[in-house]
Amino acid sequence: MPAIAARGITRRFPGVVANDRVSFEVLPGEVHALLGENGSGKTTLCKILTGLYRPDEGEVHIDGRRVHFTSPRDAFDAGVFMVQQHFSLVDRLTVAENVVLGWSPHRTFRCRAREIEAEVAATSERFNMRVDPSARVWQLSVGERQRVEILKALYRGARILILDEPTTVLTPQECEHLFASLRDMTASGASVVFISHKLREVTAVCDRVTVLRRGRTVGAVDIAAAGADPRALARLMVGHEVSLATKDPLVVGADAPVALDVRSLGVSNDFGRLRIKDVSFSIRRGEVLGVAGVAGNGQRELAEAITGLRSHTAGQVLVGERVLRNGSPGDAIAAGVAYVPEDRMGTGLVPSLKVTDNVALKDFRSPELSRGPFVSPKKVLARTRDLLDRFDVSGRPDSTVRQLSGGNAQKVLLAREMSSNPRVLVVAALTRGLDVSAMESARALLLEAAGRGVAVLLISEDLDEVLDLSDRVAVVYDGRIMGIVGAHGADRDGIGLMMAGIEVAA
Amino acid sequence: MNHNVIVTLVVAGIAYGTPLLIAGLGELLTERSGVLNLGIEGMMLVGAATAFWVSKVVGGPAWFALLVAAAAAMASGAAMALVFAVVCITFRANQVVTGLALAIFGGSIGLSSYLASSGKLTKAAGPHQIRALNVLGLKGLPIVGPILFHEDVVVYASWALVVLVALYLYTTRLGLHLRAVGEQPQAADSMGISVTLYRYTHTVVGGAFAGAAGAYYSLALTPSWSNGLTAGAGWIALGLVIFAFWRPGLLMAGAYLFGIVTSLGFTLQARGVTLPPELFAALPYVMTVIVLVLTSSILSGRRLGSPAALAQFYEREEH
Amino acid sequence: MRLERRTTTPPWLRVVVPIGALAVALVLVAIILGASGHNPLSTYRAMFRAGFTDRGALSATLLNATPLVLTGLCAVVTFRMRIYNIGGEGQLYVGAVAATAVGLALGGRPSGLVIVAMIAAGMAGGALWAGIPGVLRAYVNTNEILTSLMLNYVAGLLILYLIFDSTSYWRNLTSPGAKVYPQGKMLTSRGWWPAWHLGGLAIPLGFVLGAGLAVGVTLALQYTRTGFQMRLVAGSPAAGRYAGIDTRRLILVVMLLSGALAGLAGASQVGDFSHLLDPNGLEQAMYGYAGIVGAALAGFEPLAVIVTAVFLGALTNAAVQLEGPSFPDGLVGTIEGTILFCVVSGALMTTYRVHRRASDPGPPEAPAEAITSPVETSLVDSRAQS
Repeated sequence: MPAIAARGITRRFPGVVANDRVSFEVLPGEVHALLGENGSGKTTLCKILTGLYRPDEGEVHIDGRRVHFTSPRDAFDAGVFMVQQHFSLVDRLTVAENVVLGWSPHRTFRCRAREIEAEVAATSERFNMRVDPSARVWQLSVGERQRVEILKALYRGARILILDEPTTVLTPQECEHLFASLRDMTASGASVVFISHKLREVTAVCDRVTVLRRGRTVGAVDIAAAGADPRALARLMVGHEVSLATKDPLVVGADAPVALDVRSLGVSNDFGRLRIKDVSFSIRRGEVLGVAGVAGNGQRELAEAITGLRSHTAGQVLVGERVLRNGSPGDAIAAGVAYVPEDRMGTGLVPSLKVTDNVALKDFRSPELSRGPFVSPKKVLARTRDLLDRFDVSGRPDSTVRQLSGGNAQKVLLAREMSSNPRVLVVAALTRGLDVSAMESARALLLEAAGRGVAVLLISEDLDEVLDLSDRVAVVYDGRIMGIVGAHGADRDGIGLMMAGIEVAA
Repeated sequence: MNHNVIVTLVVAGIAYGTPLLIAGLGELLTERSGVLNLGIEGMMLVGAATAFWVSKVVGGPAWFALLVAAAAAMASGAAMALVFAVVCITFRANQVVTGLALAIFGGSIGLSSYLASSGKLTKAAGPHQIRALNVLGLKGLPIVGPILFHEDVVVYASWALVVLVALYLYTTRLGLHLRAVGEQPQAADSMGISVTLYRYTHTVVGGAFAGAAGAYYSLALTPSWSNGLTAGAGWIALGLVIFAFWRPGLLMAGAYLFGIVTSLGFTLQARGVTLPPELFAALPYVMTVIVLVLTSSILSGRRLGSPAALAQFYEREEH
Repeated sequence: MRLERRTTTPPWLRVVVPIGALAVALVLVAIILGASGHNPLSTYRAMFRAGFTDRGALSATLLNATPLVLTGLCAVVTFRMRIYNIGGEGQLYVGAVAATAVGLALGGRPSGLVIVAMIAAGMAGGALWAGIPGVLRAYVNTNEILTSLMLNYVAGLLILYLIFDSTSYWRNLTSPGAKVYPQGKMLTSRGWWPAWHLGGLAIPLGFVLGAGLAVGVTLALQYTRTGFQMRLVAGSPAAGRYAGIDTRRLILVVMLLSGALAGLAGASQVGDFSHLLDPNGLEQAMYGYAGIVGAALAGFEPLAVIVTAVFLGALTNAAVQLEGPSFPDGLVGTIEGTILFCVVSGALMTTYRVHRRASDPGPPEAPAEAITSPVETSLVDSRAQS
């Protein structure tokens, strides 16, 4: 009897079917992996299993009984807990306080530090999840914080624990520790669902694997029985998709000058944790270097460091011969670095302002758009009309960006960045959330920019897109570049393995 | 230095600091839930006017009239805070502007003045005032006598309140939930705690305290009515909460410190120091600015900072 | 019931909602009036007459509205960027002090020179006073709400000192009346600001300046580079940084500008109205705070501030005219506070649309457009997003 089973789960959102008749079951005492890329539907499925979302169709069964969850509370009561990638911890409180927050077996009024710390210590002993209960969460390492999250579930008697990409934030040692704890947990009869894209870990710690791709189940594999063949799993995960109609990327001569040179770059995130580790690469004029990898492996920090929005802790970024000033977006802009950020509507564009204002966003100081201390609306309007026309954007110059569709907004952003005659164009999330025709336009625009000699750094979670549009592909995993390969005729399986953290012999 | 001066300073400091302490404790609770209520000054003034009016109108023995007056003041503060809570929490209004509205509404050209003219409140003292007690008959002791044993019941209550609030925050389950709500409402919500409920209750309680603090002015300190008699104490209390890093104990120390600074002018003048009174009167305000500058340079690390979710709206992602 | 962020706010809604809020506020205050034994209708009627229709009422209203236009602009300029300069009151006082000093010092010079000097001094004084919280906020990230507010009290004490407790330059030490009760020294007639007369209506210079500056601010926001940066950072601070803007310097510049506007209000009070430094008059009027109410009622649009200033000016004027035993004190503040409450609650409607059912969507795994940036009018909580 499965501990938890999903049968025929379907869940739709506007424009996309996140889960399409997904079925999946976990046996008691099992560590079951849920494998898939971004967009495969694994997080949506788990949110359904933990009561955050309701399915449009299908059923969820726990220990053979059908259940209807209307809130996370219902799932808690049934013993289902999820540890998400972004922790729900209160930094300033202690570990014990976080664990007992909201619930207690005794239902008392008093909550003395000593008592709760003792209780939490007992739980952590039992499951071998050692954390100091009196430490404050902000003092803990990420691995320890994750343990606190797991303790929350164990303290409340979880029988089914769902972990969403637990190892993205862990060091290898912490990973080993986690795996050992998971085995202890399952030994007591609990089940663990392990969401991941990292094959090595999946094969190391899980008993069975269910693979999702684009919202559907594509296979369930028993690790022990089938023998651990990562390549087969990689193929299931990544698949052989039919690509969108695109142009072939241009072939660039080896003597073209280097436009962007990144040397031994080290970048930390907001919490001081190193997210980009000793990364080096260079891009020539007219070349497109794609950066492939599952989200969360340091791509954002890389883009922000190159464009000056984030200081780097080591290394240098050079545009042509010029070393960019650390942490200065203005210097990057002046050096000719254009940036299409992931956060389209909050950073790249201001939704509450008109299209004309957004077009002038970076350039309003230049003599082409201004005259002395004044911004010339006539010039801005002329440029806006020109851009809307050239880039085939449907929308009026005086409508606010918020009124535009996602695709048109993205086109405005691309148009602005590409038309500023940059030397380097950094693009993150080129086509995310766009419909097919918008996707085609965006891709065409990118290739056109490369054709004009712009060096393009294309960061994307969509491997197909990267392979179609790039000359070379760098695969990033855990802040490092696993390898740089030519895009033409690339070995998809090999790249898939690198994305999942496995070194591929050159 | 002469004992007498120190003792006088401390006693005056406690007197002037008490309303700051009470209002500050209320705002501390409100801000711990993540709500910033700038309207304390308005609530205090309305509380002061209400208390004075009720004390003149209610018959019966002094203690009864004063009790009813204080309760009325607390109720008025709570009512104003409730309106604030509805507008900010349910209608999602900008907390800064709404707090200002509350301050203007209740302030010296607003409702407090309205109440005063309706109730014909004047500078003449009312029939009842809160007087200092003589605890255990020990008020005559040197130094500690006047400070510890010769205070009025509100001062003693405020000391108890500091202890109670500290215990509440740090040793009870509800206090733990409150702290979580103010720091990370998403985490609290995910553990089944009602963010909205905590914010509403603590905002209303904060208002009640502010009303009580105002009542202290018109029933004990002044003790009568004049327009705008709190002279910005509500705003200073806001600065005090920041200065105290949102902790009750530090708040008490800060309140008494500011009380001493406020009373410094009167004390020194009584001893013949001739500097313009405005200079002394300006001291608490200037000190608040200095204290804020110092705290903001220290606060750059989030360890000691404000409740992380202060003044931020929270709503669970719809599904 | 579910709220969904609007993509665009129809213009008619932007006008209807504040008017609706005003109406609701008047109804609420009517209830308060009724509950305390006053007849709301007759009170309102009397106020309307005293504010608008009585002889000379409109001119007096404009005189009251003059500082409100300027303090309203003071608030508009900063609040749009979520910088809360509440120090307009103190900046007004310091502007008045500066303008009076200059007006007294240049007593015998030609009128044009004196007036221009007073305007400049007023703006400089106000800018200086706003510069303190401005620098602290821009460079040390100190909460500008409390610092600007504390400085209001300090400035208030300063002007009291100058007239009541010192023998300062501003104080009248010679005339017999002044020996009995402290007064400010009066400016010579060269320092009395002119007013334009249009068929019985007197329009003070300050009002004209204010209206002109309202137009100027609107144009500056639209056409100058600094104005563009202000609009940009107001729309999204992250985008401001992305565009390479020095946000700290911008904050300081905006605070200085804001203070200059309030300082000009102070200069106008002296030049158009009192012709001497009058601490009690300034402190009772509370033009600085009322300006914020007017700015909010105007939806933080500079041109609309002119209209709301006239309305609030009529309110203040009526309160002064009707003062007496039958007219309640504190009505002005009660009305202003209630108006602000209603306006800020009404902002909900311009930003959100109400849906009846709690239908989806939640974000799919790779989120589509997450509309995350703050709202144009600063009245709805900046983090309120759906």
